[in-house]
Amino acid sequence: MRSKMIFFAMVALLLIATPMFAQGTAPAAGATTNWKPALAGIGMAIASGLCGLGQGRAVAGASEAMARNPGAMAGIRFALILGLVLIESLALYTLVIIYTV
Amino acid sequence: MPELWLTRLFNDHLAGLANWILNTVHMPAIDPAHPWQNWLVMELLVVAGIFVLLPIVRARLSVDQPGKLQHLFEITYEFVLEQEHEAGIEHGAEAYVPYFGTLFIFILFMNLLGIVPTFESPTMNAAVPLGLALCTFFYYHAKGIKQHGIGRYLLHFAGPIPALFLLMVPIEIMGHLARVLSLTVRLYANMFAGDQVTESFLGLTKLAIPAVFIALHVFVSLLQAYIFMLLSMIYVSIATEHAEETA
Repeated sequence: MRSKMIFFAMVALLLIATPMFAQGTAPAAGATTNWKPALAGIGMAIASGLCGLGQGRAVAGASEAMARNPGAMAGIRFALILGLVLIESLALYTLVIIYTV
Repeated sequence: MPELWLTRLFNDHLAGLANWILNTVHMPAIDPAHPWQNWLVMELLVVAGIFVLLPIVRARLSVDQPGKLQHLFEITYEFVLEQEHEAGIEHGAEAYVPYFGTLFIFILFMNLLGIVPTFESPTMNAAVPLGLALCTFFYYHAKGIKQHGIGRYLLHFAGPIPALFLLMVPIEIMGHLARVLSLTVRLYANMFAGDQVTESFLGLTKLAIPAVFIALHVFVSLLQAYIFMLLSMIYVSIATEHAEETA
């Protein structure tokens, strides 16, 4: 019963491919594919993903430090906010490149 | 970005003034019928607001019976002073409070102007954060030169080990330019992206969700104003620090 459900779930995943039916014929000769939106999306996704990882590590370190030393909370909170904003700005540089290119 | 009603008012009545100023500095407007841009009009609005608010505070200053506005500005003053100590400015901190306090209040009001229905944040345009970042750039170099003298200040660019100066000077110069870039882009991208996200969610649903993004805009406005001020303080503290003793 359980393996049947897993099987049907995997078949349902194939429904993600339905936009394939919206494909027209191949573009006319002379038309070039537009790489910019696709690459912009991939670039921004990588930047945001790595930014998320970095900020996760920053928050993890800060939370552990605050738990070990509750007296230093103000200083740790300061360092945490500063670090988070600096990491955030790295992802935003990618966003700006996307809008200028 | 379509023209706001205030910008249209400026363009209808004061276009001649703007064109005269632009032509005097040899940078004629792209569209002489609309020389005033949204961001400039919004920025002037914030300046006018501050010019109206601060004299009111000054007139109502009192030692015995401080009013609410005085309390608010005293809190802001203490906040800026405390952040200076956190950022590393040891002595002479009080002399820097005017610049950092003005920077903080100006950026905060400019960011928050975007919440008012028919206005937009002037920091959404790259020119405004760039102007602020250049002010900070010249300010911290000026304070560093005033503290150390120009010869010794330029010597700092050579880095801690004098023999490596050929390597260190280009890196230091690029680092200083990167500071201007990062200050500009951080403020500009946060405000611009916040607006874009609100717009895209307004395109999806007009029900209640876009209000969450207005709340996010408020939070980001406060945070970005604070961070701009804090980083400016850190740059000033680096520029004016005395040489550490070698171990």
